[in-house]
Amino acid sequence: MTAWALGLILAAYAPQQAGSTPLDPAREARVQALGKQLRCPMCQGLSIADSNSSAARAQMDRVRELVATGKSDREIRAYFTSRYGEWALLEPPATGMNLLVWVLPLVLLVGGGLAIRRAMRRPAAAAPAPAPASEERKERPASDDPYLEAVRAELRR
Amino acid sequence: MTRRGLWIGLSLAAFTAVLLFVLARGFGRDPHEVPFQLRGKPAPDFTLKRLDTGAPVRLSELKGKPLVLNFWASWCGPCKAEHPVVAMAARRYGQEVQFYGVVFEDTEENARAFAGPPDPSFPQLTDERSRMAVDYGVTGVPETYFIDAQGILRDKVAYPIDPRTMMEKLAALKQSADPVSEVVR
Repeated sequence: MTAWALGLILAAYAPQQAGSTPLDPAREARVQALGKQLRCPMCQGLSIADSNSSAARAQMDRVRELVATGKSDREIRAYFTSRYGEWALLEPPATGMNLLVWVLPLVLLVGGGLAIRRAMRRPAAAAPAPAPASEERKERPASDDPYLEAVRAELRR
Repeated sequence: MTRRGLWIGLSLAAFTAVLLFVLARGFGRDPHEVPFQLRGKPAPDFTLKRLDTGAPVRLSELKGKPLVLNFWASWCGPCKAEHPVVAMAARRYGQEVQFYGVVFEDTEENARAFAGPPDPSFPQLTDERSRMAVDYGVTGVPETYFIDAQGILRDKVAYPIDPRTMMEKLAALKQSADPVSEVVR
């Protein structure tokens, strides 16, 4: 039983055949960028470029081969989705049902913003309006103090 | 209830319904289960080399008789337990169904040591850089693919296959291709 469990754990990381030789720097950069977009089938949320598993290495070799034969990024992504479905893409395209995943957070953000705005306005409207400053001044009795009168005159100017 | 309250209530209900639908879709399936996109489609063609003789084997030459492809590797623990199951099925049903093993991400030397003496009913093929395995959508080993006599991919088993499952899959293959009618009784 222990040997069986150990076999299951180590199977993906056991020494096997080596990966293919990297291409020239420009094309290899494309290989790595594409590898970052494709999901490793044996891992938890890792790309095939970031995984050392046998399946990821096999897929990276295939990406390298497809890049070497002149396939475009779109064609290479299509190659993998035709075999593994959209599951293969770490970032699903914003189409069909996936669109909801992109749109719902936006709807929540806008809706939440509007709700907050409404909530902030409501108490201000409900509270008793402060009396206008001019009325306050009008109600205030005139002072006999020449200094205060001079200040008020200055403020009114 | 005011008209405005009704509108807000309906909007919230619609939003909750959409959210529940998305969550049900997301949580309603195993996130680790890789879809088998090639089911019902023509099996991708291949030309592989036999591990024992080095002779080329082409899929186009295997048509006319159902085919079982078993992907394995010497470093894969579960493959060791599975190998005899496939080998025995090949000996029992080899007259009606062709059985081939495909070495996945392994060295020929290790694969030979694992496979043992050549078995004519269950020949092994080498797959350079696992090109053919990725063409078939292999996600790891062991995996077993079932192809009908017309070269259509009917099913796959992505775990160590047991004798009962092997029988069931061969029976299902029988329904899609007449030559297997005598296989499982």
